[in-house]
Amino acid sequence: MTNERILVVDDEPQIQRFLRPALKAAGYDVVEAATGGEALKAVATAAPDLVILDLGLPDMDGKEVIASLRGWTTIPIIILSARERESEKIAALDLGADDYIEKPFGIGELTARIRNALRHRERSEAAPATLSTDGLVIDTVRRLVSRDDEAVRLTPKEYDLLTLLARHAGRVVTHKTLLTSVWGPAHGEDLHYLRVFIGQLRQKIERDPTHPAIVRTEPGVGYRLVVDQE
Amino acid sequence: MADDDRDDNRRPDPDALLALAEKDRRGKLTVFLGAAPGVGKTYAMLTRAGRLKAEGADIVVGLAETHGRSETAALLDGLEALPRTRVAHRGRVLEEFDLDGALARHPRIVVVDELAHSNPEGSRHPKRHQDIEELIAAGIDVWTALNIQHLESLADLVAQITGVTVRERVPDVVLKKADEVVLVDLPPTELIERLKEGKVYLPESASRAVDRFFRLGNLTALRELALRRTADRVDDQMVDYLKQNAIEGPWATGERLLVCVGPDDLSEKVVRVASRLASGLNAPWLVVSIERADREVETTVRLQRMEGLFRLAEQLGAETRRVVGNDFVEEILKLARREHATQIVIGARRHHGWTRFYSPSLPDALSRRAAGLGVYFVTPDKKEKLPVPTRLSPPGVASFRQSALIAVAFTGAMAAVGKMIDMVAELPNISLLFLLAVLGAAVMGGYVSAFIAAVLSALAYNFFFIDPLHTFTITAPHEVFALVVFLTVAIIAGGFASRIKEQAEVARVRATALQSLYDFSRKLSTTAKADDAIWVAVSHLQASLKRNIVLLLPDKSDLKVAAVWPPDTELDVTDFTAARWTRDKQEQAGFGTGTLPNSRFEFRPLMGPHGLVGVCGIQQTDVRLDINAERALSAILDQTAIALDRARLSEASLEQAARLEGERYREALLSSISHDLRTPLATIMGAVTSLRQLGDKMTPESRVDLLQSIEEEGSRMSRFVGNLLDMTRIEAGTLKPKSDWVDVSDVVQSAVERARKYFPGRLIETGIAPDLPLVEGDSVLLGQVLFNLLDNAVKYGGDEPVNVYARRDGADVLISVTDLGKGIPPAEIDRIFEKFYRRGKPDGRSPGTGLGLSIARGFVEAMGGKIHAESPALKKKGTRIVIRFPAGDKTKACKTP
Repeated sequence: MTNERILVVDDEPQIQRFLRPALKAAGYDVVEAATGGEALKAVATAAPDLVILDLGLPDMDGKEVIASLRGWTTIPIIILSARERESEKIAALDLGADDYIEKPFGIGELTARIRNALRHRERSEAAPATLSTDGLVIDTVRRLVSRDDEAVRLTPKEYDLLTLLARHAGRVVTHKTLLTSVWGPAHGEDLHYLRVFIGQLRQKIERDPTHPAIVRTEPGVGYRLVVDQE
Repeated sequence: MADDDRDDNRRPDPDALLALAEKDRRGKLTVFLGAAPGVGKTYAMLTRAGRLKAEGADIVVGLAETHGRSETAALLDGLEALPRTRVAHRGRVLEEFDLDGALARHPRIVVVDELAHSNPEGSRHPKRHQDIEELIAAGIDVWTALNIQHLESLADLVAQITGVTVRERVPDVVLKKADEVVLVDLPPTELIERLKEGKVYLPESASRAVDRFFRLGNLTALRELALRRTADRVDDQMVDYLKQNAIEGPWATGERLLVCVGPDDLSEKVVRVASRLASGLNAPWLVVSIERADREVETTVRLQRMEGLFRLAEQLGAETRRVVGNDFVEEILKLARREHATQIVIGARRHHGWTRFYSPSLPDALSRRAAGLGVYFVTPDKKEKLPVPTRLSPPGVASFRQSALIAVAFTGAMAAVGKMIDMVAELPNISLLFLLAVLGAAVMGGYVSAFIAAVLSALAYNFFFIDPLHTFTITAPHEVFALVVFLTVAIIAGGFASRIKEQAEVARVRATALQSLYDFSRKLSTTAKADDAIWVAVSHLQASLKRNIVLLLPDKSDLKVAAVWPPDTELDVTDFTAARWTRDKQEQAGFGTGTLPNSRFEFRPLMGPHGLVGVCGIQQTDVRLDINAERALSAILDQTAIALDRARLSEASLEQAARLEGERYREALLSSISHDLRTPLATIMGAVTSLRQLGDKMTPESRVDLLQSIEEEGSRMSRFVGNLLDMTRIEAGTLKPKSDWVDVSDVVQSAVERARKYFPGRLIETGIAPDLPLVEGDSVLLGQVLFNLLDNAVKYGGDEPVNVYARRDGADVLISVTDLGKGIPPAEIDRIFEKFYRRGKPDGRSPGTGLGLSIARGFVEAMGGKIHAESPALKKKGTRIVIRFPAGDKTKACKTP
């Protein structure tokens, strides 16, 4: 089989220096770009399967790169960013990036995100009917949710929230996306709705609602539905 | 809404309460008012004083005129009397009231008789009522006595009634401001009785007037005046009481008088009539003069008249105002509307005189156009001459002799010229020469000169050129004709000449004023800071007005003096109070205004486009500013206000910009530090986790490379952290360099070695002079400095070689590190030693940490050296950093191990 190809966009040579051998060893082909311009060109010519993008680039803003990529491709994009640049991360995710990872990071974390993103790409072509994680099973065909084979009764809003997270399983979904898709475009800023409904959802699906294992909070950004690592 | 309004009105009027509070700090004035001498004012005053004294009050007699009457003198027994002061006046010694003695004694109440008394020349105040004002200001209560005939506003009326002109007068304000008025009344018949019994003292000189004065009719009229005045006062007090206690009116008649005056002699009567009208109506009144806008030059006489008139009006309690305009009627009506005047008082005369202001059509026009307003015309008395206290000398008298001289000179010269021409050729029209004389005299000397020249010319022509020669015979028609022509020419030419002169003067004054204003605005335009603008304004005002100037700016809730010129000008408490009034009410206060007129300064608000920006005080003298100075003043004040407003805005916006810049800088700084720390950390962590989890799937070379990158990034981080710590030490002031003798060439060599190892493949050339002296310092720190400089030079030097030189330069050892990169723009050359400054974007994308050079500077300065940058260094490119250390003393160096 052919290896999946990953485009790494970062202007720091040190980062490239360790990502290249590490991703290679993890079974990916690596294409490198140091600037936004190079990145756009490389996506068009080298046909990568996924893009790892540092938001701070010398020639253009990483967000611009996402915006122009999203104009014509649905290629998964994982953002590398610093923790304090929260608003930048959210903006990037809202622009269509699939996930993000904060520097510094371990290689295991990165490869997990890569796998998730790639799997989603495969899945999006044929949406999965069911998803199970940590004893929780979501059946979108019959609209049933069960926990350890016991049916869980969810309100329509809770169900919408859960399925939205499940469709992006393993990846972060921003507050804004959750709010606008479940409550409508007028409620993009009503964070308190989310806090309340996520709390209720956790009460019903988590084993220990005080230490949620399925619906994780991404502080300041959104929520993530964690899936079992195979 | 309506209810609110009513509530508002019912609250005590703050102004009334303020005035009350002001009065509380001052002494109280009690006036014993009588209709005529001899009614027993002094007697009443002393009786009352004795009663109070018996009750234990601290009351002294400053001055009481007993006029040798025993019954009055007896009252003085048991009262403390202040000794009088002796004043030499015109060879006589006068006994006068001792103001300073009274102030020093500072009783609770002092009795000072004869309010209308004029002090001898050289006294502190010209009038006794001013002495009393000072006593009151000092917090002493004063009792005094006054005859109604001495009241300023009644002067002409009293003169009309009695035929006696009263010279000693008291401004109405004094009586108006008195806290208590005690009317001492005696029926006229009894007074005459007392006079006959010799109980009324009158000076010898006045005995002639006595018969005229002490007539039943006169006394009755005066008594009526006194009674009516007192009644008015009671009415005022009632209104004050109502206002203070917020009892609803109707307490005011709502009348407001606008009184129009000009520099004519009728205006004084207009003012007096208006004053009586105002006090009868209990209405405020505003005296206004309208100056023609196109008349730039006011004659001194007119100005003095106007000043005198305004002073009188203010003494009588009026507000005064000067307005500039061309259409008098329009200006008057405009002002009346703005000031909510209900009646207009104006002088009206049917014959010519000062027609400029009171042309026959003015009253008609006014009454035609003054819809809804009452117009009150004051007509002149034709039979009686008004007693005018100060007669002003008519203009032009002084120059008569000059005019005559000019006329004689011109006529003489022309006669001589004519004689000379006559000798050469006989001309029939020689008389034309004398036209020249008339014309010349007109141009030089004006009307008078032209007239004299015309008459002289006619005579001279007759005498010298017409047969029979050397005789005066005006018989022939052509001689009469010549005289008529000369006179006509004189009138026309004189008129023209004087108008031209006036216009030239106007142009000159206008040009001077314009130039001065232009100078000022040019000076102002070069100042961006409020401080500079203030000083420019103050010095310019002082120079153009010749008055002391003070400028105050709002300072939180108070005012502070921002500038004074000349610098020794000082403000006292009254001045400050007046200035605060101006700030609070945004109107003029102090000298010459209705508010705190005893301040030496007149304060005016400086109104910028965004409200009050300051207060300007002009120290006034008795001579008021003329209309031109007034105009210049308001123009300058307007300009200053705008400049201050502008400066304030620009300072505010600069501050805002600096704050924003600071915020941006801090943000950039933080992101730069976090980037510098995080990138090596991310590399190390990524490489380590890769090796651990995926190491067995990697080639050996990859593993070695990852390990090497970990090492490099580790040392990079350690350098950055080291730099941060060094910087912290420098900033905290804990850096203590050792003081050893350092061999510069040694240190340079080892730093270069280290740099070569660090940056393999980069060419670093050295040039070290052989006989370098030692310098005092710390070799480790110096090595670090040089390494930082080399690090920098390599980073910014492109691919060109880096040069290091060390040599002796006079008493210094000089080390330089030069790169041939792009160099530094001149604007930034001073900033490169700043912390976290880096060439390139401030977002952390440039290679350095932004600390190297600032650490280098910190170390060099700690060791007593100097560092600076030069760019371009060579061939229009590159940067050179130069360090200097004082060369050490070789002999001293040997002694120190």
